[in-house]
Amino acid sequence: MKASAKKRSAAAKNEARWAWAFIAPTMLGLIILNFYPVINTVYQSFCKTGDFGRGNTFVGLANYAAAFSAGETWHSIWNTVKYALIEVPFGVCIALILAVFLNKKLKGTSAFRTIFFLPMVCAPAAVAMVWKWLYNQQFGLLNNIFHSNVAWISDPHIAWISIGVIGVWSVIGYNMVLFISGLQEIPGDYYEAAAIDGATGIRQFFHITVPLLSPTTFFIVQTRVIGALTVFDLMFMVMDKTNVALQNTQSIVYLFYTYAFTNGNKGYGATLVVILVLFIMLVTVIMQRAEKKLVFYN
Amino acid sequence: MKRIVVFLLALTMLLTMAACGSSQDSGSAGSSSGTLTVNIWDSNQQAGLQQIADEWSKTSGITAKIEVVDWDNYWTLLEAGASGGTMPDVFWTHSNTVQLYMDNDVLLKLNDYIAADDAIDLANYYEGIVGLYTRADGNVYALPKDHDTIALLYNKAIFDQYGVAYPTADWTWEDMYEAAKAITEGSNGDVYGMAMNTSNNQDGWYNVVYDYGAQIINDTHDGTTIGSSQGKAAMEMVRKLISVGAPQSVVAETGTDSLFMSSKCAMITQGSWMINAFYTAEHHDDYYWSLLPYADVNGNGKCDSGERYSAYNGLGWAAAASTKNPDAAYSLISYFCSKEGQLEQSKLGVTMGGMKGVSEEFANAFPGMDVSAFVEAESYDLFFRPYTRKTTVWEDALQQAGGFLDPWQNPSDAALMEKACDNAQAIIENAIANE
Repeated sequence: MKASAKKRSAAAKNEARWAWAFIAPTMLGLIILNFYPVINTVYQSFCKTGDFGRGNTFVGLANYAAAFSAGETWHSIWNTVKYALIEVPFGVCIALILAVFLNKKLKGTSAFRTIFFLPMVCAPAAVAMVWKWLYNQQFGLLNNIFHSNVAWISDPHIAWISIGVIGVWSVIGYNMVLFISGLQEIPGDYYEAAAIDGATGIRQFFHITVPLLSPTTFFIVQTRVIGALTVFDLMFMVMDKTNVALQNTQSIVYLFYTYAFTNGNKGYGATLVVILVLFIMLVTVIMQRAEKKLVFYN
Repeated sequence: MKRIVVFLLALTMLLTMAACGSSQDSGSAGSSSGTLTVNIWDSNQQAGLQQIADEWSKTSGITAKIEVVDWDNYWTLLEAGASGGTMPDVFWTHSNTVQLYMDNDVLLKLNDYIAADDAIDLANYYEGIVGLYTRADGNVYALPKDHDTIALLYNKAIFDQYGVAYPTADWTWEDMYEAAKAITEGSNGDVYGMAMNTSNNQDGWYNVVYDYGAQIINDTHDGTTIGSSQGKAAMEMVRKLISVGAPQSVVAETGTDSLFMSSKCAMITQGSWMINAFYTAEHHDDYYWSLLPYADVNGNGKCDSGERYSAYNGLGWAAAASTKNPDAAYSLISYFCSKEGQLEQSKLGVTMGGMKGVSEEFANAFPGMDVSAFVEAESYDLFFRPYTRKTTVWEDALQQAGGFLDPWQNPSDAALMEKACDNAQAIIENAIANE
């Protein structure tokens, strides 16, 4: 008995060794490229950082005090939330409707799926540049088509919506593909039974599709909320530094970029990032609580 | 669902590994013994500079490979290199950032090399540029590569169309205002008489400020007079100009250069580093350069000393303190900055020289376009591009809301501009205090 137990543990040890060998490249990558920078960022947020990473002096909570008392921090967090409030609900709803249509056995569905997924394949910077010219007040296609003279990205009241629209356009394809895979896991029997009972397509959608799809929806909402709260490239590419509406659209990551890289104040930049991480954690915890009530697992 | 999650996880793994791989690649791209890596940020200058570098290779036997990295990435890469990575052997420095690099000893100290080099005498170069690259303790970290000046660019076709007289060397800023007004009003706002963004500082409103006797940054680099009565008078002139020019929302979205090139704007002020872009533009036959207008502060009807300024700036050729081949790196820098290299640089139309008296050829480098205004500007007053230790901090703040963006947005309100001058005074003083 004893001998066989020993033998098994040797085999298990051997297996464990191999397991470690297999995950080592990823672990090393994560530790060097993710964990170490994370810890270093938190450390720097308590420092007045020196040039080129030398001569950091510990200043305690001074950076946090400055960040929390600066109006622009709160303003940019609010801008980020506004962006998320456009991108997430619209990105999810439109993608869901498209997914339902493209899940039907119709001609050309795969062509449409490809078309809707295309924005995901484009480089975000290129997407932003094209939209920037579409929105241009003088020469832009939008104003030309509608014979209007709207300052889509320079009017502080409109600019945040214009930016949000680009975000929605960019994520629809990705969300849609996830929804389609979720839809394919719903057994067809439910729809057949409902049809026999006389349920219309819309009733089927709200009483079968939406509840049974809720785990997928939750996954998408959660990942997109985090994605939206860390948005940077859209504002950076579309809004010129001298744009009047910049203050009403710049996200918290944009503010971080300005301080850490343009102004070379890495410590304050790190502080802003830590604040953002805490904020995202808070939002995630709230969403996890909500999951238990809203998401239906059968 | 599960499959997708698995797929995403696998993708993340792959990306992580790819990231590992690529970072190792770029790390190993240092200099081997027979080659120097040279980094610059302006692709317009690459061909000409490579030609000069190849001349140097013929005598030195060492290859110099000039690589272009665009402005934003240039500083990210250089900073990463200075923080513990690999820096290029030879590279450009700029007044925005060079102070940091000099203070932290990441640049090769050139004093001993210069002392032993017959081709280089610092007295032959523009003082402002030499001063910029000399640390307070007398150490020199870069040699002047070039200098630039500012001129007025106008589109003759638009002036003809609205019957307005062309700019002359005798123009004051008031004359420019009248002409811009005539064009903007004559076209009912379809074409703008002029355009200037808050970000057109070195190539725009800074020049007006100096004409009126104020300074963005004083000679000792520890203060400003933008909030003085002279500064306010200058910015009042700027306010008048932009009140008849393109609105702020237009210049922020489209850019003054694009407006000009699409014939939507008759006049802009621009620096000599941009000549090539306009020289190769579609309607370049209509484009003419004129001397920057002056401010007739004493009202005697002619341009006196101190009434016409042009900003000038100069890049420097520097080497990394960590270069494996400092002798070769200096040798290349010395060749670029020697009389021979400087003459070649201006003859090829790359830029005007950092050395005095080598730029006459530059005016002839663009057949069919008269760029002599840039050279002529030097017979008037020049001021070096304002800088402090962390220039971008206040420079960016001046361009944005809370700085000059507010009056730019609302140029009919003179009180707003006056307030912005006071704000600017505070912005610069705070920034300097925190450096």
